[in-house]
Amino acid sequence: MGRYLPGDSLVYRLDPRGKFLLTFYFVGIVFLANNVASYAFLLAFVIFAVFLSKINFGFFLKGLKPVFWLILFTVALQLLFTPSANPLWHWGIFTFSKEGLVIAGYIFIRFILIIFISTLLTLTTTPIEISDSIESILKPLKKIKFPVTQVALMLSIALRFVPLLVDETTKIMDAQRARGVDFGEGGLIKRIKSFVPILIPLFVSSFSIAYDLAIAMESRGYKDGEGRSKYRVLSWDRRDNIMVIFMAAVTGILLFLRSY
Amino acid sequence: MEKIISIKDLNYTYPEAKRSAIKNLSLDIYKNEWLSIVGKNGSGKSTLTKLIDGLIEADSGTIEVAGQIINEENIWEARTKIGIIFQNPDHQFVGATVEDDVAFGLENQGMPREEMVKAVDEALILVKMADFKERDPQSLSGGQKQRVAIAGVLATKPQIVIMDESTSMLDPDGRKTVLNLVQQLRSQQDLTIISITHDIEETELSQRIVVLNDGQIVSDGKPEEIYDLGADLQKFGLEEPFTSELVSTLRDTIKLPDGYLNEEELKEQLWKLHSNM
Repeated sequence: MGRYLPGDSLVYRLDPRGKFLLTFYFVGIVFLANNVASYAFLLAFVIFAVFLSKINFGFFLKGLKPVFWLILFTVALQLLFTPSANPLWHWGIFTFSKEGLVIAGYIFIRFILIIFISTLLTLTTTPIEISDSIESILKPLKKIKFPVTQVALMLSIALRFVPLLVDETTKIMDAQRARGVDFGEGGLIKRIKSFVPILIPLFVSSFSIAYDLAIAMESRGYKDGEGRSKYRVLSWDRRDNIMVIFMAAVTGILLFLRSY
Repeated sequence: MEKIISIKDLNYTYPEAKRSAIKNLSLDIYKNEWLSIVGKNGSGKSTLTKLIDGLIEADSGTIEVAGQIINEENIWEARTKIGIIFQNPDHQFVGATVEDDVAFGLENQGMPREEMVKAVDEALILVKMADFKERDPQSLSGGQKQRVAIAGVLATKPQIVIMDESTSMLDPDGRKTVLNLVQQLRSQQDLTIISITHDIEETELSQRIVVLNDGQIVSDGKPEEIYDLGADLQKFGLEEPFTSELVSTLRDTIKLPDGYLNEEELKEQLWKLHSNM
């Protein structure tokens, strides 16, 4: 995935709820693909979506980086362990065959599809839009007394405080380094131990931030989340309808290509 | 002058504390005045703010805000009349962007969205932060964050603004901008300002200073009168303002008029010394 990248294009302007749900939907239908034609079609769709976003392709490749070893491992596993009646090469427990090659290729494309489409969501949608979407999607749960608005506010405050806590951590690390703590040396146990002097001050300061924030929120009239109005509103436009119809068409074509 | 806050015989002790934080304190605050409450750490000044806003409950005594004695029932109404700017700009920023944060207080009041959009814009223009509307707090300087906090408070149209050490974490430029802005808003919006600080230099713009020590008022007067206390201020853990310290040292060698001189007045006196005009 990636961090939000400010920009403007059709993909940015789509309603985040639609983007959020359809991304999950797409990840689901990726598993329906079963032959070269269906994979090629989905790949074409993702490349089209990336193109529409007007975001530099490099950002998507960056999204692959953290899962690079996972992909390599899975692909290698498929290549070497797919059982086959007529292997091209056979040695001990390892089998290399045409079938293995094809399956490994499919798995590789599946990874690319899922990572690119979710990177597209996170690059074009701010965390706050995602938290708004979750609130909106979970709204029906209000009927069973689930505190949807409070949870959404918690989520947005949590997101808001991530960078602040990162700063706080850096500050604490510097302060501990100045006192002679070395974070990069020693065995695993020693390294883990050296994080204790970071975690404890971090906990203490998070609590004090939470206390200050609670006082500030109360002084600004926050009661319990009831009777509040909303400043940010999500608007579902015609283009969002078009996106849903488009996605339905993609599903239709995919189902057709499957049995092709 | 019309009273806006009237505190009578207030007492407060923190749970499990041996000494009381506020002792028999009575204080009247007038409409549209800028009152500074100064005192060293632990003198009870922040406790007093929290009591005024009903964030903690007094052991005894009464607090009247805009003609109404605050109690558990009307506290939320009283809070709409009071806005507080806290010390750490990062710890009071609720929204993910500048505009979201300014809207927070309005959302709490359940204001319809169209009005909210207007009120947010107006408030941001007042503090000259309209260009930063969509920015996230992390990209702002301390002074800018405090200006956003002021906008958030102003949007709800309070009558009283309390600044609880709000400029103590800012650099000198940020501090100056924020204090001047508050001064300007005070006359523009007919606000009453209560600023709480341990730094006596920050009280220059106020009209009245109350010195707090051990939960009691030890001095109450115009800035000149308080600055004139000179070395007596040190008894209460406060430093004498630099200019007044300088004036008293200079008095040993050169003749200066009696009473407190601010920086400008002192300059005025000094440049005359070597002039033959």
